[in-house]
Amino acid sequence: MVISANVLLTGSYDYNEVGKSVLIAIAASYAALDLAGRVTAASGRARAGWLSGGAIAMGIGIWAMQFKGMLAFRLPVPVEYHWPTVLASLLLAILASAVALYVVSRQKMGRVEVLIGSVIMGGGVAGMHYIGIAAMRLPAIPRFSPVLVTLSILLAIFFSLLALLMAFDLREETRWAVWRRLGSATVMGVAVSSMHYTGMAALSFMRAAPPNLLRAVRISPLFNDGVAIVTLIVLMAASVTSSVDRQASAEVQRLNQDLEGRVAERTLQLEAFNQALKNEIAERERAEAALRESEDRLRLVIDTIPQQIWSGAADGSLDFRNTRSRSYRGLTPEELQGGGWQSVLHPDDRERVLKAWHESVVNGTPYEQEERHRGADGRYRWFLSRGELLRDSEGHIVRWYGTSTDIEDRKEAEDRLRLVIDTTPAMLYSARPDGYIDFFTKRWLDYVGLPLDEVCGWRWTDSIHPEDAEDFVGKWRSSLATGEPFEAEGRVLRADGEYRRQLHRIVPLRDKAGNIVKWYGSSIDIEDRKRAEEALQEAQNNLARVTRAVAMGELAATIAHEVNQPLAAIVTNASFCLRELAGGAQKFEKLREAIAEIVNDGTRASAVISRIREQLVKGAPEDVELGVNGVIQDVTWLLRNELTRSRVSLRTELAADLPHVFGDRVQLQQVLINLVMNGIDAMRTVADRPRELLIKSAKHADGVLVQVQDSGRGFDPEQADRIFQPFFTTKAEGVGMGLSISRSIVESHGGRLWAESSAKGALFQFTLSAQNDGVS
Amino acid sequence: MTKGEPIIFVIDDDPSVRRAMKRLIESVGLRVELFGSTQEFLEAKRQGAPSCLILDIRLQGISGLDFQRELANTNIRIPIIFVTAHGDIPMTVRAMKAGAVEFLTKPFRDQDLLDAIQLALEKDRSRRRQEEKAAVLRERFESLTPREREVVNMVVCGMLNKQIAAKIGTAENTVKTHRSRAMDKMQAQSLADLVKMVERLQITVRKAS
Repeated sequence: MVISANVLLTGSYDYNEVGKSVLIAIAASYAALDLAGRVTAASGRARAGWLSGGAIAMGIGIWAMQFKGMLAFRLPVPVEYHWPTVLASLLLAILASAVALYVVSRQKMGRVEVLIGSVIMGGGVAGMHYIGIAAMRLPAIPRFSPVLVTLSILLAIFFSLLALLMAFDLREETRWAVWRRLGSATVMGVAVSSMHYTGMAALSFMRAAPPNLLRAVRISPLFNDGVAIVTLIVLMAASVTSSVDRQASAEVQRLNQDLEGRVAERTLQLEAFNQALKNEIAERERAEAALRESEDRLRLVIDTIPQQIWSGAADGSLDFRNTRSRSYRGLTPEELQGGGWQSVLHPDDRERVLKAWHESVVNGTPYEQEERHRGADGRYRWFLSRGELLRDSEGHIVRWYGTSTDIEDRKEAEDRLRLVIDTTPAMLYSARPDGYIDFFTKRWLDYVGLPLDEVCGWRWTDSIHPEDAEDFVGKWRSSLATGEPFEAEGRVLRADGEYRRQLHRIVPLRDKAGNIVKWYGSSIDIEDRKRAEEALQEAQNNLARVTRAVAMGELAATIAHEVNQPLAAIVTNASFCLRELAGGAQKFEKLREAIAEIVNDGTRASAVISRIREQLVKGAPEDVELGVNGVIQDVTWLLRNELTRSRVSLRTELAADLPHVFGDRVQLQQVLINLVMNGIDAMRTVADRPRELLIKSAKHADGVLVQVQDSGRGFDPEQADRIFQPFFTTKAEGVGMGLSISRSIVESHGGRLWAESSAKGALFQFTLSAQNDGVS
Repeated sequence: MTKGEPIIFVIDDDPSVRRAMKRLIESVGLRVELFGSTQEFLEAKRQGAPSCLILDIRLQGISGLDFQRELANTNIRIPIIFVTAHGDIPMTVRAMKAGAVEFLTKPFRDQDLLDAIQLALEKDRSRRRQEEKAAVLRERFESLTPREREVVNMVVCGMLNKQIAAKIGTAENTVKTHRSRAMDKMQAQSLADLVKMVERLQITVRKAS
């Protein structure tokens, strides 16, 4: 920069000084880069220390470089420096450095931040330069080349930007950091110097009046070198400190890394452990949730189950009841504590229940009782209470657990059933598969007047009549052996000492496999029925006899005729004999004839009377082998006069080869008499055709068929069955028993009696079984 | 025709009884004829001798009572003695009303039967005599002229001659002539005699018709 000699002061550069200033710039750059790393590495108060310390060192470095550069510019006039301004430029340098360090030491450096940072730093450096120039006191007026000033400011900002980027890039302490940093520092130092010297180039001095030298000092060469040295020392110190710090920091870092490695390892372990723990916790939580859920469910179950549930301590005091149990009683948990449950017991059950509970608690045996509990509504219901013991491994009772089941309905049904069982006029019992009778209803026990233990098992056989016992027990044993149902009659000794006939029936109950599980039996006192049956039989027999007598009464004329004929002959013959004898009795031959006839007629009369007597005399029915044709002949003989009198012609068609039947002759005669007499009666009004009666016998599948066909008016077919009902009659003077009795007689002979009606008349027919069965 | 030996007819279906009766009746010297049924009896020839019928009520095919009516209807007027082995009051009443001589129940006393036979025979004889007398009277009556019969009927009714003459429109003397001629023909001794005769005739006529 050569300035015109007239107006311009020509300055010259002391290149030694320039070199020094460039070195200082490089050193400051290095220190700045170094410190940027430190500031970045540090944190908290240390960071503030490093930032301020760094800013001071760097500011001093920049300032020293700039001051040195200014000093290197030699003017032909004495130059003094206004030292407060110099200090201000120093402060500005320090501030700009602080901003720069701050910017680069941040974790991130955005584009805007870099620009702002570089503008501030560049501005600061430029400001410092021009303030430094303003501190010059010399007899000249500085002039500035606007182009170069602008260029210098732009360069300052540009280099600041470069420096910031480099510093930011290099702040990490990597392996080649020192060399790279050194390179960068050199680039930066040169750059800063070039900016400085560009600024200096923009400056020219016009000769002017001497400056105000107030507070201006003269810079001596010593001071000049001193500033450089001090600056270098500061920078060195800063660098060394930084280096030591970095070393320490590196060591710390290494240790840290080591530690971190271990920490990481440990952390991994811990994490694994944590994970395991977490898993475990999660597992446990799940388990707990499940448990909670399970508990909730259990509680729900316990509270909603249609059961009353309770539990208590080993001493029998109850301390838990489920909701159902409490709500039934309508008592609070407190009221139910301990022995509170006893208050709801039915007074009638109280003593029994408490005794049983006490025994169970004392003896440690399970508890089971049926008891009535009073509900909240004040009504009692039956419950089946069951208690079980929980014991520890040594067998000590730990707790009681129990349920109370509402059995009111069952109890009611049971009572009803018991009532039915006890009032059923049948006596019931049950036996084990081996025949041991283990249950008799009260009715049976009352009947024999003995307690259960005197009849159970096989002891009941003592109550059977000795004559029946062997047969009865034998049959029972055979049923037990074969599994066949048992049915037998036997006389049983009643409590009052009377042997009465009973009908016993016992049937087996089998399981699915067909094994007999139990036998159930009933016995019915049939003594009265039997007697009634016998009486009925008797009455029927009597009635039959009476109807026979009635029939005989109807036949009275015939009977009288039958008897009186021979009597008339006898009497007449006897009278003749008497007359003959009175008259001297010459004609013995005639007398002999007459007397012989008397004997015959007497015999005849006797026969007639016996036959009629047969019909009238009461007698137990016989069961003998007889020919049906013979019976028919008996009857036709008996009725021949009746038939004659009624002008009925009788025809018989009797099969020759009939099997014999078993039965009672008189009863069968009675049936036939009845049918024939009915036929005769039916034909009384017949005038327009022959009165014919046909009696027919024939073979039949079962034995013998007998038919009685009349030519009467017949009967209404709708009454075909009614006519066999007792007291049904179509005759004005009929009793209505004839056919009813006839039918029962035929049926008792194992046969069948029925009637048909047609235009020809009525046909009555009956069968008789050829086998000897079904005879009363 | 009261001549000839009396004869007793017996109808009974019991041969033993028939034979005994025959023995008994013959022992008192009477003739007996036996029949087993009414049919046999009707078919047999009977003489005009006094007779009676011993009839059993219960017979094959027909009752004795019905046969009694049958006989009456066919104008066979033979006295009937009923015998029955079994009789009752309604039967007896019916038989007696229909003119039975006796109703005996078997066995009967021999004398009762023999008495009944005698009674019956006597009845038969008297009947036969009556019938003979009636026949004579009828002959005499039938010999009267219609006018004489007319007059006799009015006389018997108690009308005077004058009344009769007025009624038939003749003279009283003419009536007297008819009357005396009729009395002669009828061989009536008195008016009362005539009245009896006419009465008997009317009975007979009525019976015969």
